[in-house]
Amino acid sequence: MHYIEIRDVDFEYEKGKSVFQNLSLNIDKNETIALMGPNGSGKTTLGKLMAGILKPTKGQVNVFSRDTRGIPLHEIGLRIGYLFQNPEKQFFANTVYDELGFVMKIKGYDEEYIKEKVEEKLELFQLKGLVNHSPFLLSQGEKQRLAIAAVLMNEPEYLILDEPTTGLDKKRKDMLLNLLFMLKNQGIGMTIISHDRRFVERICSRFIYISRGEIQYDERA
Amino acid sequence: MDVIEISNLYFRYSKREEYLLKGLSLRVRKGELLAITGESGCGKSTLLSIICGIIPHIRKGEIEGEVKLFGREVRDMAIRDISKEVGIVFQDPDSQIFLPTVEDEIAFGPENLMVPREEIGLRIERALKAVNMEEYRLENPNNLSGGQKQLIAIASVLAMETDILLLDEVMSQIDEDGKDKIKRTILNLHREGKTMVIVDHDIDNLSLADRVLELKSGMLREFKGW
Amino acid sequence: MTREHNLDPRTKLVIVLCLSTLGIAVNNLALLSAIALLSYVAASLFRANLKRTFRKIKSLIYMLLFIALVQSIFTRGEPLLSAGGFAILTVNGVERALQFILRMAIVIFSATIIGTSSSRSIIQGLVQWKLPYDIAFMAALGIRFLPMLREEIRDSLVAIQLRGIDIKNIPIKERISLYSYLFNPLLVGTLLKAERLSIAMEMRGFRAYDKRTSYLVLKFTKLDYLIMFFSIAITAVFLIISYM
Repeated sequence: MHYIEIRDVDFEYEKGKSVFQNLSLNIDKNETIALMGPNGSGKTTLGKLMAGILKPTKGQVNVFSRDTRGIPLHEIGLRIGYLFQNPEKQFFANTVYDELGFVMKIKGYDEEYIKEKVEEKLELFQLKGLVNHSPFLLSQGEKQRLAIAAVLMNEPEYLILDEPTTGLDKKRKDMLLNLLFMLKNQGIGMTIISHDRRFVERICSRFIYISRGEIQYDERA
Repeated sequence: MDVIEISNLYFRYSKREEYLLKGLSLRVRKGELLAITGESGCGKSTLLSIICGIIPHIRKGEIEGEVKLFGREVRDMAIRDISKEVGIVFQDPDSQIFLPTVEDEIAFGPENLMVPREEIGLRIERALKAVNMEEYRLENPNNLSGGQKQLIAIASVLAMETDILLLDEVMSQIDEDGKDKIKRTILNLHREGKTMVIVDHDIDNLSLADRVLELKSGMLREFKGW
Repeated sequence: MTREHNLDPRTKLVIVLCLSTLGIAVNNLALLSAIALLSYVAASLFRANLKRTFRKIKSLIYMLLFIALVQSIFTRGEPLLSAGGFAILTVNGVERALQFILRMAIVIFSATIIGTSSSRSIIQGLVQWKLPYDIAFMAALGIRFLPMLREEIRDSLVAIQLRGIDIKNIPIKERISLYSYLFNPLLVGTLLKAERLSIAMEMRGFRAYDKRTSYLVLKFTKLDYLIMFFSIAITAVFLIISYM
């Protein structure tokens, strides 16, 4: 059984505009995957199918052996962390602290416990000095770190990152890479959707190139 | 001749203690293609905003020193006059394009400047030709790819027919294919004699330029990071 | 430069104004129903995308029905349905509710008619009617950005669930804070985009002068005049019937 299975999947956004036809792909947790391809190739769509955000028009997408059509999104989110290309799409709070802690607060966790967990992440992601800042007013690199930290609050076992290097300069890309290596060493699997070949070559072990809805090649390093 | 002249520029945003730009000086010659790079947050975009008058006319901040376009102080010019001399294109096409067709979008600038209709028609043609997007004239910009949208954003600013063009991280959100098209456009414009200042943190995008400067610690210096 | 065989947006505006006037001024249920039907027919003739509109306002429909119900309950009159001496539904109440629903239907159908013209031509129509151009542009920007809002709400819901929140099972106490969390990205996103857009527009000379030229010029055709005439005529007829 593979961690994520895409079986004979068809997907179209609107009637007649098919993105994929009969796509099949197996993904294991211990691989670090690069999903590459030009704009419009379908790679973001594929990432969303994998995370259960989109459901296939035909065929099946299984994550941890369950059909994504049968798992509520919030349950998937606890095990698979999804990072949008634009980090602002997943910021909800007015302060960095609240951004990290609000989910647990809503679920009724103990405040001391939340504080502990939040401070762990603040330390790890170098966000301590920004505790009271608005997530929306941070720099691109800071937003990136906050988005990943927030997703990791649930301690997911897999991450899907959509174009994480957008807007980052070389130094911040290196920092991101170090972060991802650290997570990889903790056993977290990941799929990185990116057109930045040089970035993914440094961390990924499997390279899938999609163009016009078809897998053009699928190679392991 | 020096098209842009900046002397001893000091700048900080209103609520900050530290100065972002500390005694910065810059001279840009007519027809030059200048690239400015630096880490995120170093002030490159802020510098462009100051050159085209967004700071202090639209956004606020404490600014000291000389900033001149063709010999005139920017702070003494109205935006409507500055907009005839400097055009600026930003990073996010969705925050620049808002009209239903490409043609509407490109016509918008000249219409604001009360350019007569026939001239607007000519400018639309020239702008579309410059970015190689003539076949998309009646297309809805929302249906275009990110790179194509940026080309339309550039065309819309080209229609203002300014002598100077500022490009603020215009390739940051664009894929390889789109970047190539934008770079080709920039080179063509350079060949036609347009004065341009490009800001980008990605070194790969800088090789087009005649001169590359780095903004560090609030000042500009020659870029040696090759 | 002319656009193809689409009617002048000003003609559509006249039609919409006529329908809205009738919707407000007429009280008779039979007449209102006729006007609502007329609006529907007009919208279909203009090939307004009614299916898509229905999908978009599905949630709104529940709210409208709720308002209609409230109106009917709180209107005094001849009781239709009572419980323990207390009139829950009255004839007048039901009448009010139906009037409300029909009026909303008329407004919604006529709004879709405007949507069949591009925002640029609507702006031009208003400007050629001597509306100050900056107001016309604001209106058109609203039209352009509002539909995007719906998609953003959907994205926001998806994103918050992916953070592990089961939106269907939130205790009532937390529901209010949930809504404020959900709306934050929308609000901030919209404000930021609006600010950036206004700067871009200003740097392209927007509001440089009191007037602006236009590449797009609208000219009425015979068909436009004909339709406007008939719309106003029919409106007058309905109003007269309504007041007899």
